[in-house]
Amino acid sequence: MDLSLMNDLNAPHSMGTTIIGVTYNGGVVLGADSRTSTGVYVANRASDKITQLTDNVYVCRSGSAADSQIVSDYVRYFLHQHTIQLGQPATVKVAANLVRLLSYNNKNMLQTGMIIGGWDKYEGGKIYGVPLGGTLVEQPFAIGGSGSSYLYGFFDQAWKEGMTKDEAEQLVVKAVSLAIARDGASGGVVRTVIINSEGVTRNYYPGDNLPLWHEELEPQNSLLDILSSSSPEPMIS
Amino acid sequence: MSIFEYNGSALVAMVGKECFAIASDRRLGVQLQTIATDFQRIFKIHDRLFIGLSGLATDAQTLYQRLVFRHKLYQLREERDMKPETFASLVSALLYEKRFGPYFCQPVIAGLSDENKPFICTMDSIGAKELAKDFVVAGTASESLYGACEAMFKENMEPEELFETVSQALLSSVDRDCLSGWGGHVYVVTPTEVRERILKGRMD
Amino acid sequence: MSKSEVDVPPKGGFSFDLCKNDMLSKNGVKPSYRKTGTTIVGMIFQVGVILGADTTEGPIVCDKNCEKIHYMAPNIYCCGAGTAADTEAVTDMVSSQLQLHRYHAGQESRVVTALTLLKKHLFNYQRHVSAALVLGGVDVTGPHLHTIYPHGSTDTLPFATMGSGSLATMAVFESEYKEGMTVEDGIKLVCDAMQSGIFNDLGSGSNVDACVITKRHKEYLRNHLLPNPYSYINPKGYGFPKKIEVLLTKITPLREEVQVIEGGEAMEK
Repeated sequence: MDLSLMNDLNAPHSMGTTIIGVTYNGGVVLGADSRTSTGVYVANRASDKITQLTDNVYVCRSGSAADSQIVSDYVRYFLHQHTIQLGQPATVKVAANLVRLLSYNNKNMLQTGMIIGGWDKYEGGKIYGVPLGGTLVEQPFAIGGSGSSYLYGFFDQAWKEGMTKDEAEQLVVKAVSLAIARDGASGGVVRTVIINSEGVTRNYYPGDNLPLWHEELEPQNSLLDILSSSSPEPMIS
Repeated sequence: MSIFEYNGSALVAMVGKECFAIASDRRLGVQLQTIATDFQRIFKIHDRLFIGLSGLATDAQTLYQRLVFRHKLYQLREERDMKPETFASLVSALLYEKRFGPYFCQPVIAGLSDENKPFICTMDSIGAKELAKDFVVAGTASESLYGACEAMFKENMEPEELFETVSQALLSSVDRDCLSGWGGHVYVVTPTEVRERILKGRMD
Repeated sequence: MSKSEVDVPPKGGFSFDLCKNDMLSKNGVKPSYRKTGTTIVGMIFQVGVILGADTTEGPIVCDKNCEKIHYMAPNIYCCGAGTAADTEAVTDMVSSQLQLHRYHAGQESRVVTALTLLKKHLFNYQRHVSAALVLGGVDVTGPHLHTIYPHGSTDTLPFATMGSGSLATMAVFESEYKEGMTVEDGIKLVCDAMQSGIFNDLGSGSNVDACVITKRHKEYLRNHLLPNPYSYINPKGYGFPKKIEVLLTKITPLREEVQVIEGGEAMEK
C-alpha cells in the first residue's frame, strides 16, 4: 500500500468541511457537506455535521471531529440542565455563549470552528459564528470550514436580506455544491436543517443530483484521441 | 539501538504433556561487552509457577521484586498460591499501569494449574497478553527462537523429550544472536518435581 | 508516604513515576509496543450487527490466533485495532464500568453508553492511548454500529472498517452492501470483506473471527474461517544429531498433595 496513505490512516480524524448558516425572514437554514477525512482517505462519506443541541438549536461543526464532538456533547448537556432549571427552552444566544465559553477557555487544546443556528421566541432566527480562537459573532449569515474560502465572493453577491425559506435553502444548497466542486476536503451529500417558529425540517440532497458546475472537457492531445482514431498508423501524420 | 537490546537475552517456554519447560540464556551484557555469564532471568514465583523477564536487566529485577511482593500479599490474604492465569493478569496490570513510562521488559510466564494443565503466556512491555497453546518466546533472540520452535515443537511431549527440544531450540537460536548465549538455564516442571539444568553452550 | 503504600496503588489508573524513562526515548532509544496490523469490520443487517476481525498480531507475527473481538456487555462487542495493550485495556475498563452501571440501573446496557465511555477515555488521553475501535451491539433502541478513532471522534455507520486493511475491506462493502440483508448474506459479506483484507493487506492475516449479535441472542464465531492452515509441521517431530551437554542437574521434588477424606476414621481408633 502507498506509504503516504498509511500515514494518513493514522492522521487526526478531521472534517475538511463546508458549513453554512443563513438567516431568512422567519428563521434560519443550516447547511453542510458530509465528508470526514483522515489525511486523503475518506473515513466517512455520509457523516452528519449538523448536530442537535436542543429542540430549537443546532450546530454546524468543522475542524477536528473529536474536538467538535466533545464541545457539542458538553454544550448539549449544559443546555439540558439549563432547560430544566429554567422550565423553558434555551435561547440561541445562550447556546452560542456556551460554545464560545468552552472554545475560548480551552483554545490551546481545541481545533474547531462552529456555527450555531436556531430559533427562539425572544429574538427569532439567529446565526452565531464561533471561529478557532473562541470569538462569538452574531451574523446574518456565516460560512465556515475549508470550503468556505471559495464562497465569500459568492455570498457577498448572492445573499439578500429578507429571503423566503425556499430562497434561503436553495442558496445554501447551491453554495455547498459549489464548494464541494472546488474543495477536495468537502464532498458527499448536502444536508440542510431549517429552523423556524413551526419547528425543524431536515433535508438531504444526494451527491448524484447536485450540479457539477464544471463541463466535462474534451480530451486534447491525449492517448484517447489516438486509440479512437481509425487510422492504422496514428503516429504518421 | 533499542533499549530492549541493551543487555541481551533469550527466553522460551514450551508446553508438554502435563508439564512445561521454561528456558533462558545466561549472558548479561552491556551492548556487545559481556559482563556476566551466570545471570538469572527466570524466577520462581511458587513451586509450579515461573516467570522469565527479558529486556533491560535493571527493570527485570525491579519488576521481579514487585511481583514477589504482590504474590506474598496474595498468599497472606488468600492462604493459597496464585493460579497462573491470575498471575498473568497481575503482571499485565502492573505493566499497563506504567503505560507512559514502561518497564523495558517482556515477560514470559509459565505455570502448572491445580489440574496439572500447563499454561504459558508472554506480553509486551505494556502488558498486552498473548496466550499460546504450544510455545512462547521473548528477548533479542526471539526471531530465531520463533523459527527453531516452529520447526522442532511437537504436541504432548514427555518431560525428557521436552527438555531436549527446548534446549536444542534455545542453543541453536542464541548462536545466531550476538547479545545472548553463554549456555542455558532450563526448568522442566512436572506435577511431581522441578528439574533445573544448566546447559553448556558456545562461549562466544 | 512509605514505599509500600506507593507500591500498591490505592486506586486504579496510570502511574507516571517511571516517566523519567521519557528521557531515554528522546535520546532516540524508543520502545516499540506490539501493534496490530489489523483488519476489523462491522455491519448492520436486517435484525442485528455482525462484527469481523482477523487474528494476526505483531510486525513479525507474534500471535497467529489472537482475539480482537472484545466483550463489552452481553449485547455489545467491540473490535480493536492499534496498540494491543491499549485496545485490551480500554475495552476491559469500559466493560467493567458497564457491568457496574447495569447493577445500578438494573437494565441492559446501551451501545451509546459504551460509545460515550470509550470516547471519553480516548479523548482524555489525546491519542496517546492508541486504540481504533469498531463498536457494535443491539439494545432496546435497535442495532447500532459505531467507529471510534484514537482521538476520541466517533462515527455512526451502517458498515464500517478499520485498521491497515480498512481500504481493502471498504472496497468490498462499498460494492456489495445492501440495506436489510439476511444473517446468511451478512456473514458471507463480512467473510468476503475480511478475506480481501487478509490477502491484500500485508499486516493482516490468519483466520477470520466473527460475532453476530441480534436481539436477545449472540453468537461468537471464533475462527469462523481458516484460510491459512498450518502445512509445514512434521508430525514425527525433529531429530537431533547431538544431545545437549548438561553441566548441572538439580531435581526438586514437589510436596505431595494431602488428601483429606471427610468422615474418615478418627485418629484414636
